[in-house]
Amino acid sequence: MLQTLPRRVVVTLLALSVFFPLGLVIYQSVLSGPFFMKTASLSLESFAFIFDDPDFWSATKNTLIVAVGMSLIAIPLGAILAFIMVRTDLPGRRWLEIPIMIPIFVSPVVLGFGYVVSLGPVGFFSVWFESIFGSVPWNIYSLASIVVIAGLTHVPHVYLYSSSALRNLGSDVEEAARLSGASPFRVARDVSIPMVSPALLYVGVLVFFLGFEIFGLPLILGDPEGHLVLTTYLYKLTNKLGTPSYHLMAAVATCIIAVTFPLVLLQRALLKSAQRFVSMKGKSARQRPLALGGWKWVALAVISLWLFLSIFVPVAGVALRSVVSSWGTGVNILDVLTLDHFHAVFEEATMIRSIVNSILIGTFGGALAVGGYLLVGLATHRKPDGLSRFVDYIVLTPRAVPGLMAGLAVFWVFLFVPFLAPLRSTLFSVWFAYTIVWLAYGMRLIQSALMQVGPELEEAGRLVGASRARVSRDITVPLIRNGLLGAWLLIFMIFEREYSTGVYLLSPGTEVIGAQIVSLWASGAVDVVAALSLINMLLVGFGLALALRFGVKLHD
Amino acid sequence: MKTTRRNFSRCLTAGLIASVLGISPPLLAQSAPDLIAAAQKEGKLSIYGVTDNEQANHLIREFRTQYPAIQIEYSNMSTTELYNRFISESAAGSSADVTWSSAMDLQVKLVNDGYAQPHKSAETAKLPDWANWKNEAFGTTYEPIGIVYNKRLVPAADVPQSHADFIKLLSTQPEKYKGKVTTYDPEKSGVGFMLVSQDKQVNGAGFGDLLKAFGSVQVRVQGSTGTMMERIASGENLIGYNLNAAYALTRAQKDPSIGIVLPKDYTLVISRVMFIAKNAKNPNAAKLWLDFVLSKKGQEIIANKADLYAIRPDVEGETTSNGLKKQLGDALRPVVIGTGLLTYLDQAKRLEFIKQWNNAVKAK
Repeated sequence: MLQTLPRRVVVTLLALSVFFPLGLVIYQSVLSGPFFMKTASLSLESFAFIFDDPDFWSATKNTLIVAVGMSLIAIPLGAILAFIMVRTDLPGRRWLEIPIMIPIFVSPVVLGFGYVVSLGPVGFFSVWFESIFGSVPWNIYSLASIVVIAGLTHVPHVYLYSSSALRNLGSDVEEAARLSGASPFRVARDVSIPMVSPALLYVGVLVFFLGFEIFGLPLILGDPEGHLVLTTYLYKLTNKLGTPSYHLMAAVATCIIAVTFPLVLLQRALLKSAQRFVSMKGKSARQRPLALGGWKWVALAVISLWLFLSIFVPVAGVALRSVVSSWGTGVNILDVLTLDHFHAVFEEATMIRSIVNSILIGTFGGALAVGGYLLVGLATHRKPDGLSRFVDYIVLTPRAVPGLMAGLAVFWVFLFVPFLAPLRSTLFSVWFAYTIVWLAYGMRLIQSALMQVGPELEEAGRLVGASRARVSRDITVPLIRNGLLGAWLLIFMIFEREYSTGVYLLSPGTEVIGAQIVSLWASGAVDVVAALSLINMLLVGFGLALALRFGVKLHD
Repeated sequence: MKTTRRNFSRCLTAGLIASVLGISPPLLAQSAPDLIAAAQKEGKLSIYGVTDNEQANHLIREFRTQYPAIQIEYSNMSTTELYNRFISESAAGSSADVTWSSAMDLQVKLVNDGYAQPHKSAETAKLPDWANWKNEAFGTTYEPIGIVYNKRLVPAADVPQSHADFIKLLSTQPEKYKGKVTTYDPEKSGVGFMLVSQDKQVNGAGFGDLLKAFGSVQVRVQGSTGTMMERIASGENLIGYNLNAAYALTRAQKDPSIGIVLPKDYTLVISRVMFIAKNAKNPNAAKLWLDFVLSKKGQEIIANKADLYAIRPDVEGETTSNGLKKQLGDALRPVVIGTGLLTYLDQAKRLEFIKQWNNAVKAK
């Protein structure tokens, strides 16, 4: 809850931050050259070019396959995982919390590369499998593999949203179902999961969005057999004409926006009809975990298989690569063990700086971002008017622009807006880009926390004469303290792994691990990339463990 | 003024003694004293380069020992990012003082579009003609392009010694090398495109056969050297075509499975092109840096510490243009810095070339 004036200021700032870079992209798409060049003129040739390019259509088709396929895999698995973790008495649940989060904070480029090292044609796991069974039934470079891996690695996103929704359900309905003889699976399918369908719808659209945006995985796994998706097609356009063709890249980004924006509208419409479910959920304090009985082995097996495929396999690949000088057919791993790559990381000042900066941007930057999201959240909290609906629409939009393009747009904003220029070569610009790109993600965390505050408490504050700001400060915010801490932790993880957005904002002193990995990758230092990624994973894992230890909850 | 004159006379004396003794001291035979003074007054220099920090640092450290008053800000980025940032920032006012990139065509385009300023000195005079364009774009290295192979898995008899050998190997053993040969994707990598378009120019008739051979083994194309090298080392691919031998050499020092061949019929040579930005904030420091990179000392560092190859003809050693000439003689084909590189930045010509490539290579 905010007063009218601050509320307008917040919304205006938000709209500017989102629409200015976005408008720049759309404007660039209808020009014949870079927008800052005098020679550029209004023209639709960029669209003519991409629509005429068969690669564009095959990339569009593949993108749709990936987005639909990974949603079909991630949403049910994520929902089931959330159900098992939140509503049942599965042994070792607390212990599983950290590994489940790994795919969220490991950069997909690194995950993809990990899969190549372990499941690729000469990957250590493939070689081992082949020596036993004679042949390898999978092809890591096929489109199907990309879909499956993308699906499996997006399970945690779905898990997060649905688990926080599931936590708010009373367990009485589930117990009733269980007592009348339903299996735990049936309870999940027919009772618990339908009741959190608004959250699932939201995350479903988000995952579908992410499907349009994934870049790292198809870049690594799609290259050898030439499977393009829209983001890798956009990347390819950078060099196809020799000089970077902004107008073509912007045209592709505009097409992606044109496809995804109607999805936002659709999602709003779906959510509206789903509100009826929400009103039923109520707030029951009493929650008893569902006894799984013999089913717990099934549940454990499913989770273990998922953990094995989406975490152990790629992470083992990366870890292995970071300690060997060579690998593959005919290499005895014991002969090539080395710690040189770690030395290389710690001897290089820029690497150390990138590690320090990544920690800064994750912790302080993460906290600042949560603060920003909170202001936006408060601006729309309990105010179901036109302005709030407007905000609802704009928070999802930045997610529609591929990170690489969004980073470039933010770079331009900082370059050409005079009063922002001095901030460009500081970490602020990187932070700003990250905060905008992950707006949809962060807002959902804040909104779900705000939702849980009973309106009667705030109304009581208002009745005794407190201003809106006072109510926010003294009632709402203190009540969602835990939710904010959890959001901070998640944003920390997301910021640690972000890579494509920061590429253009790198300057001496503002290096971050993610962008550093991309730049090292290009010049061939794959070994150092592996070492740096492993360090990053350990760092985030440590941060996560520390936070959980001190009682921060990922969801409350 | 006083200091300048004193420096000048000191240099003069030293130079005199040196020439009497018949030696040329590397540190003293350098930039004019007033340039040094002006550069030190600027006290700063910003460089955008594609050379890894680790390699560039060898040069930067030595430069800083010679001129401690000049702070260097070195930003490492990819060739595309460098171009993007440079033109965007120039449009907004000013960008880096010096750019240093292996995308020779993009560098020439920038110079051609008027983004550079000229510089002439005793050091730039040492460059071969092809590596100095209008006294604005300067080649700083001499990096041969080779064939890289997996030593564990490719039998010695198979290792091609020339382009003709390579084509023959692929066309006589297509089954063995099917899906096992890798090269740059000319659509994704600007450097890769430049190299293969040079092949077309240099190899003439053989070029069609090369494309056909690629088609017969379903060549795997990649966007970056790193991914290619990694796949060759692991054995997923066996032979890589048109890889920068300087990078391969760095990797081969750590990894015994990497072998490099410089083809005996012709070996393309690329050079990292450096130019000073027209609206450089620190033009004197930029000139001093350029002179330093081209100086004997700078070139020795490039050859011996940075794992690149020195271009200056009076530097000796294996990783120098001299060393390569001893080994390959007339077979060396440096890519000439000049307007010739602009041919394929023309959209129609470039797309035509890519079409030719795709038709031949992706043919079933």
